[in-house]
Amino acid sequence: MVTEKKKKTINRLQSMYPLRANIDEMYKRVVEASKVGKPTAWCMVNWWEADPILKAMDIELVYPENYGAVCAAVGTAQTYLSRSDADGFPTHMCGYARNCFGYAARMKELGEIPPEAPLGGMAKPVLLVSSGALCDARYKWFQALGRYVEAPVWTMELPHPGVVESQKEGAYEGAIAFMVKELREFIEFLEKLLGKKMDWDKLAEMTDDLVKVNRVWFEINELRKARPSPMNSRDFWSCMNASLYPSGDPKVSLKLYQDMYNEVKSRVDNHIGAVENEKYRLAFAELPPWHDLKIFDELAERGWNFVVESWAYHPPKPIDTSQVSDPLRRIAMHTYQWLTGYFQDALAPREYMGYFAFPYLEWARTYQCDGALLHPLLTCRTATNHLMLVQDRLLNKLKVPSLVAEGDIVDLKLFNHADTMKKAVIFEEIMDHYKQARREAGFEW
Amino acid sequence: MPYFMGIDIGSGTSKGVIVNDGKMVASHLLPSGVNYREAAQKVRQELLAKAGLSPAEMAHTVVTGLGGNNLPFANQQAADLPCCARGVHFIFPDVRTVIDVGEQAARVLRVSPEGRVTNFVISERCAAGSGRFLRIIANVLRIDLKDVGPLSLQSKNPVTFTTGCAVFGESEAVSRVAEGAAKEDILAGVHKALANKIAMMVERVGLEPECAITGGGGRDVGLIKRIEENLGIRLLVPPDPQIITALGAAIMAEEQARLTAAPELKS
Repeated sequence: MVTEKKKKTINRLQSMYPLRANIDEMYKRVVEASKVGKPTAWCMVNWWEADPILKAMDIELVYPENYGAVCAAVGTAQTYLSRSDADGFPTHMCGYARNCFGYAARMKELGEIPPEAPLGGMAKPVLLVSSGALCDARYKWFQALGRYVEAPVWTMELPHPGVVESQKEGAYEGAIAFMVKELREFIEFLEKLLGKKMDWDKLAEMTDDLVKVNRVWFEINELRKARPSPMNSRDFWSCMNASLYPSGDPKVSLKLYQDMYNEVKSRVDNHIGAVENEKYRLAFAELPPWHDLKIFDELAERGWNFVVESWAYHPPKPIDTSQVSDPLRRIAMHTYQWLTGYFQDALAPREYMGYFAFPYLEWARTYQCDGALLHPLLTCRTATNHLMLVQDRLLNKLKVPSLVAEGDIVDLKLFNHADTMKKAVIFEEIMDHYKQARREAGFEW
Repeated sequence: MPYFMGIDIGSGTSKGVIVNDGKMVASHLLPSGVNYREAAQKVRQELLAKAGLSPAEMAHTVVTGLGGNNLPFANQQAADLPCCARGVHFIFPDVRTVIDVGEQAARVLRVSPEGRVTNFVISERCAAGSGRFLRIIANVLRIDLKDVGPLSLQSKNPVTFTTGCAVFGESEAVSRVAEGAAKEDILAGVHKALANKIAMMVERVGLEPECAITGGGGRDVGLIKRIEENLGIRLLVPPDPQIITALGAAIMAEEQARLTAAPELKS
C-alpha cells in the first residue's frame, strides 16, 4: 500500500537546517570541552554584553534559557519542572528557571549529566554568568542554583533606560561609560578566575564577527516584509540562537546566515512564500509555546503566515561602530542599541506607547500584518505586562486585531492547544472585518 | 423550496433550528447528556419531525458548539461565536455587544453592523461566569434551575461571595446555608458575582449599545437584573435566548449554500 507523505504546510528554509544543527551541536561541543578540562559556563541571554568577552577568553558557553526551550520542545521539561516543584520552587516562577533547577537537581543527584537530557545535556559549569537585563527572576535564578552547582556567579549589570530622562543630554554617554566600566571589571574577574590574560586582538575580531552576524540576520528579517513573506516564524525561532545568544563559532554562523540570506532573497525574487496560500499575515508576541510548535503548522494550513515576532529576540537596528576602536565600547554600544533601539521612536508620538509595545506597532505596519497572536506567559511578567497595551494600540492605531492565547514557554499544562485553535477560527472573521476597515480608513494594506 | 439547518451542541443543551428563505421554520432543544453525537442525532430527528420535513429536504446543515465535531449529517462545522453573532443580528440588527452565558463559559462579543464578530473574550480556565456555576448553586440549595431567577429577585440582602470561583463558590454557598442565609440572598449573591465577572469581560472588549444577552443565562431574570445594574444599561433579550447560536448556524448554512450551490439558490 502506498501512503502519500503529508505535505508540510510551512515551506521551511533549507538553509535553516545546517544553522539549527550548528546551534544544537553546541551542547555536545561543550560537554566534550568539559571532559578535557576546558572552562565552561552557563550563561543567560545578555544581548552580547558578556558573550564576546567569554568567547574571546575561550570559555565554552551553554544557555539554560535556550536549554529550557529545547527541553520543552522534545518533551523532557515536565520531568525537570516536577523536580523543581518537588524541591519547593514556586510553580508560578519562570519556566526556564524551573527547568534549570530541575535539571541541576538531577545532575547533582546523579553526579553526572542526566541520561534523559536532550542534545547531550549541559556540562557542569565552572562559572555562572547572569544578566540584570529585562527580568527580575534572572537576578536570583543563578544565585539559587547554588543549591546544586558549585560555581561563582557574575551578574552583568546595565542601565535600565525605560524612562524619558534617558533621552537627556549626556545620558547615553553615561550609560555607555557605566557598561564599559562593568565590562572591564568582568574581564579582571575572568583573568583572575582562569589565570590567563585577555587577548584583546581576539576580542576585537570576535566583536567584529558578531556585529556582522547581526547585520546579516537583520537584513534577512527585512526581506520578510515581502508578499508573500518568504520566511515563517518557525524558521526565525530555529535560527535566532546563533545571533541572540550567540551559539557557536561566529565565523561559522556568519557563513550560514549568508547562505540563508541568499535563499530568502531568492524566494522574494521568485515570489515564493513560506506558506503556500498566504491568507493572513501575522505578528507573534512574545515567546512561543516551545512544547507546542506544531500549532504554527496547523495555523499555516489555514493560510496563517507569521511574518514577524518578538522584537527583543530580533537583531538590533544596525548602528555604525566601525570607527570605534575600543571593543568594550563597541560591545556596550551594541547591547544598549539592542535594548533601546526603538525607544526614541516610541517617544516621538508624544503618547504613551511603552518601549516594549512600540516595535510591534511599527512592525505590524511595515510587515503589513492582518493580526497578532499574543501569547501572555503565565510564568513571565516581563514578557506579558506590555501585551495588553500592544493589543490596544494595534487595534486603535492600525486597526490590527489581536488574539490572546495564554500559555507558557515551558509548562505545557498552562497552554490549551484545542482552545487556541478554536479561537483562531473565530479570529479569522475578525481579521477579515478589520482588513475591510483598514481599506476604508485608507491604510496601505 | 430548500431548507437550512443549524445545530448547536452545547455542554448542557443541544439546540436545532431550521430556516427557509430567511425565516425561522422550527426550533428544538434538549439536554445534551453525556453522548454529544447521540444528542445531535436526536435533536435533528425531533427538529425535522417538528417541522414536518425529511432529511433530504435540508439543502445545507451547519453544526457548531462543543459537541459539533465529526457529525455525519453535517455539511459544515463552524465556530460558535460567528454563529451567535449571525443569530443575534437576525433578531436584533442594531445589537453591537452580546453577552452569551452558556453552561460551559460566558462569552462577550462585539458584532459589526453586518452581523460579524469584531472582538470577543471568553471566561476560560474556570467556571466562574458560566451557567454551570448557577447549576452548582441551585443543586446546593435544592431548587430547580428555572426557579433561580425569580427567587433571586426577592432578595433584600444579597450575600457577598468572596470568590468568583465556582468550586470555592459551592463551598461558600454551603457555609452560608449553614449560617442560615436565605436562599434568595444566596442566589442574588451568586448573580452579583457572575455579573461582576461578566462586566469585567464587557469592559475588556468595550461596551457598544445595543447589548443583548443570549444562552441559558438569558432565561435567568435574576442574572439579567444584576448585569443591567452593573453595566447601567437595559439588555435586549431574544424570545428564546438559548437557540440563538443554532439559529445563526442555520443562517450561515443558508449563506453558504447560496455562495456555493446551485444557481437557483443564488437568486
